[in-house]
Amino acid sequence: MADAVRRGGGTAVGVTSQLGSRAEAEQALAEATGALGPLDVVVHALVDPAALVAAPLTETDEASWDARCEAALRTALACAQASFVQLRDRGGRLVFVTPTVGLTGAAGLVPYVTAVEGIRALVKSAARQWGRHGITANCVAPPVALVAAGAEDPGIEAPALGRPPATRRDVAPVVAMLAGDPGHFVTGSTVTVDGGVVMAP
Amino acid sequence: MTGAGRGVGRGIALACAAAGADVIVASPGENGAETVAEIEQRGGSAAWVRCDVTRGDDVRAVMAAARGRRGVHVVVHNATSRRSSEPTRLEDLDGAAWEDHAAVSLRGAYHCARAGLPALPRDGGRFILMTSPAGMEGSTMLPAYGIVKGGLRGFAKSLAREWAPLGVTVNVVSPLAETPAMIAAAEQDPGLRPRLARRIPLGRMGDPEHDIAPAVVFLAGDGARYITGQTLVVDGGRFMLL
Repeated sequence: MADAVRRGGGTAVGVTSQLGSRAEAEQALAEATGALGPLDVVVHALVDPAALVAAPLTETDEASWDARCEAALRTALACAQASFVQLRDRGGRLVFVTPTVGLTGAAGLVPYVTAVEGIRALVKSAARQWGRHGITANCVAPPVALVAAGAEDPGIEAPALGRPPATRRDVAPVVAMLAGDPGHFVTGSTVTVDGGVVMAP
Repeated sequence: MTGAGRGVGRGIALACAAAGADVIVASPGENGAETVAEIEQRGGSAAWVRCDVTRGDDVRAVMAAARGRRGVHVVVHNATSRRSSEPTRLEDLDGAAWEDHAAVSLRGAYHCARAGLPALPRDGGRFILMTSPAGMEGSTMLPAYGIVKGGLRGFAKSLAREWAPLGVTVNVVSPLAETPAMIAAAEQDPGLRPRLARRIPLGRMGDPEHDIAPAVVFLAGDGARYITGQTLVVDGGRFMLL
């Protein structure tokens, strides 16, 4: 991915980490800032594909529950806490990708949706507590490919704009907005970017 | 129900018993037995089963005990971490505190659902979870509590869809009540009560048994049979953003 960014004319460094603990996340960010300089924005877009494989909760053993739900929460928490260490004195922006399935729920994805909604609450608490440090924290909610994952489609409307989003063309600019000057007074919010499917509140 | 030893849980247990339920109180400590004694003293039916909801075996034993009595019609997962009321900075939230919150609230819900479904009746079973404004709006004082309470709403929506074909509804209640946890939080933050009172249209904190529990009794009953995947906010009007 770092190579792809550089080919596009950008600057990038690739850091490999499981991000399974606060220490690992802090190490990863230290490597990144060591190579690129001080941190301004953190985008947490990690989704474990295994968590998107549908399974009834009653057939989900404890190890699978942990892998699909609690591990995702631990990673998000580690990422947020490590980011705070870097941003507390200069301010900055946190953006977490929280697919719209968190808002609608989906049969077969109880562990994953639990994690997504937990992450949204984490981001809101970060927004409230870290605002005084000049840190904003928001969620961007694109749809996730449920049909491909085998989960039951909640049967919601087709997108008003006639198609699901293309990540680079449709979702990335919203992340960039929240990360840039236009987003400077937005915090604790969830911005859905799904072409007009989920429209609550 | 889990966590019925005190506070909102105790209020729900008392109200459900008064409505005619045989209440199985599943809690780790002796205060569960006190709730049972109170119910029996009032002429109701109840039993205490010592239960650590983080352990699947304990939760299965609770369901077995219920099946040995009148069966399981409603499961209420109310238990929360003993550390729920400890004000914390998100950056200082340590692994042990997080694990306690996740284990009791999230893994507890998982165990209650897994053990409960085989016992719950088709076409009429009820699964009720508890959330909080901390889960919906984020929390300035209790980030771990907010994370797990937010997570439980996602849990409930997905489980509601999964169990709907079986006729088992899954809903969430968000209470605002004067409870031991609230009192502890207010001791840490003296501004909490006046701040809250200013923001509650009905001007007072809810009483667990008389203000919060009737909403749970409603969701557990036949009148709520067409309600699933919902969050019912019972808080004197403080939160009006749904």
